[in-house]
Amino acid sequence: MTDCGCEKARRDLEEYLRHEVCKTKQSDIAEHLEHCAGCRDEALVARTLTEVLARACKESAPEELRDQVLAKLRAVQAAH
Amino acid sequence: MRVDTGRKTLTERSRMFATLERLDHETPLLAERAAQVSGGLQEPAVDWRVMSDSTDQALQPDQAQDPRAQFEEQALPFMDQLYAAAMRMTRNPADAADLVQETFVKAFASWRTFTQGTNLKAWLYRILTNTYINTYRKKQREPYQGTIDDLEDWQLGGAESTTATSTRSAEAEAIDHMPASVVKDALQSIPEDFRLAVYLADVEGFAYQEIADIMKTPIGTVMSRLHRGRRMLRELLADYAKERGITPAATRSTK
Repeated sequence: MTDCGCEKARRDLEEYLRHEVCKTKQSDIAEHLEHCAGCRDEALVARTLTEVLARACKESAPEELRDQVLAKLRAVQAAH
Repeated sequence: MRVDTGRKTLTERSRMFATLERLDHETPLLAERAAQVSGGLQEPAVDWRVMSDSTDQALQPDQAQDPRAQFEEQALPFMDQLYAAAMRMTRNPADAADLVQETFVKAFASWRTFTQGTNLKAWLYRILTNTYINTYRKKQREPYQGTIDDLEDWQLGGAESTTATSTRSAEAEAIDHMPASVVKDALQSIPEDFRLAVYLADVEGFAYQEIADIMKTPIGTVMSRLHRGRRMLRELLADYAKERGITPAATRSTK
């Protein structure tokens, strides 16, 4: 494991956090984050943004929509 | 942010539509292959991933014989998620409900082409996105935004140097305490292609490749839209926080 430095860590941070393929080895970014408070904070902001978006966008479909869809599917099937 | 769609718009759009058009009729070969898989009978599972039942209904008398019952059982649990996505796309409950209904009707019509054991959620999202682009986006007052991927970073505004390192943890805290309505408004205000990429990645947790399939764009485009979209969001949320005095009013770089 080698510390990849701030530049590579910042560039590939999103991919690292999402476990996507990235140019820098995951372990090198992990190593860097261990030693660099600035990049750790950056990672915290990135993760927080994802969490907050997921939380904010939660919706429940209206109950009547479920009924409408069920009725529609039945109608479509009956038409065949 | 208004974007000059430029010359590329038409080609880009027709290419996008052409590829999306194919969605409803794809993978007959895969369906055949799946039919050869002789999965044992399984209880209906919440996680569709573990379901590997044959699609050959005739040979599986104990299975849900009625395609509609099978469809309802597997696809309808995604209704809340699809509705939430439709809300972010259409921006209003009535259109969102219509879009979801249309998505289910189309999905049901193509149900025989869905290969059991493959990613049902991604399949439904492709139909949702396709339907949205072909129907709803056309009639909405906002014209098609064309490709904004060619824009330079400075045109979009960058958050790279928005805050100094020392205030980043404060930024995280501010974001964490942001009211849901503010977050949704911010998401709503970024260009649509960016919004979709961010939504699919952050809210739905799709992998880059899945988003590329859903949006019919190369994976590099997905990454670029996601990164830029998120940067714009951070900037918008930082602005909001600063207005409200939530973060220390410091270190905002001037462009």
